Amino acid sequence: MKRVIVACGSGVATSQTVASKVKDLLEDRGVYAEVEAVDIKSLDTYIKNCDIYISITPNASTDFDIPVISGIPFLTGMGMDEALDEVLKALAK
Amino acid sequence: MITSVATTIFDPKLILFDVEAEDSTELLRKLSFKLLEEGYVKESFEEAVIEREKVYPTGLPTPGIMVAIPHTNPEHVLKPVILFANLKKPVMFKEMGEGTNDIPAELVFMLAVENPSKQIEILKNLMGIFSKKEVLLSIKESTDVAGVIDILKAQGI
Repeated sequence: MKRVIVACGSGVATSQTVASKVKDLLEDRGVYAEVEAVDIKSLDTYIKNCDIYISITPNASTDFDIPVISGIPFLTGMGMDEALDEVLKALAK
Repeated sequence: MITSVATTIFDPKLILFDVEAEDSTELLRKLSFKLLEEGYVKESFEEAVIEREKVYPTGLPTPGIMVAIPHTNPEHVLKPVILFANLKKPVMFKEMGEGTNDIPAELVFMLAVENPSKQIEILKNLMGIFSKKEVLLSIKESTDVAGVIDILKAQGI
């Protein structure tokens, strides 16, 4: 199963909420993936084993081999469809 | 017995109106003090939420009325609650994410989260209203505790 990680400052509240929202949105489209909220400090450990990184922190390094997508649209609803399309596209690879 | 979610995650004493502050730090100090006074957080919450806001800002460019959702690690929280503050004048926050844009926030939801996995449904429903311009506007217009709680309740929070 494909793996998506969502990171925010502390791994509480925002990243958990975005992770749960993304999981629901994907399931609505019949796409099943593991979506996990992580603490930004443990990002290096998790990034090696995932397919997409959804970021809600400043200065997110894009120096990764996997797609990095902004998680803000999942919080504000603005641009959410586009962000979801990016996730779906990346998962389809 | 039906227990309303709105009465469990919100506290009428922590639904505040006409809150004034010069900047986000002053505002966070004031709001943290309210949480401390009502026994929801430890003394360490104040500095923790201020520091976290500097590193990981929480302003959101929501439609119509902009909001901020300051919060910090669960270790500073005693009991979960969401404090609501309707600000007299907008207070500048930085935008969540890149942290470069200024967000003139008019509504603040300060989250004292104790166990995120338990509060995820409420948080998701709360985030749900951030894309609803009409709901944000009606919350902004509400001038009493019952009015705000009714709107939030109707949104499943």
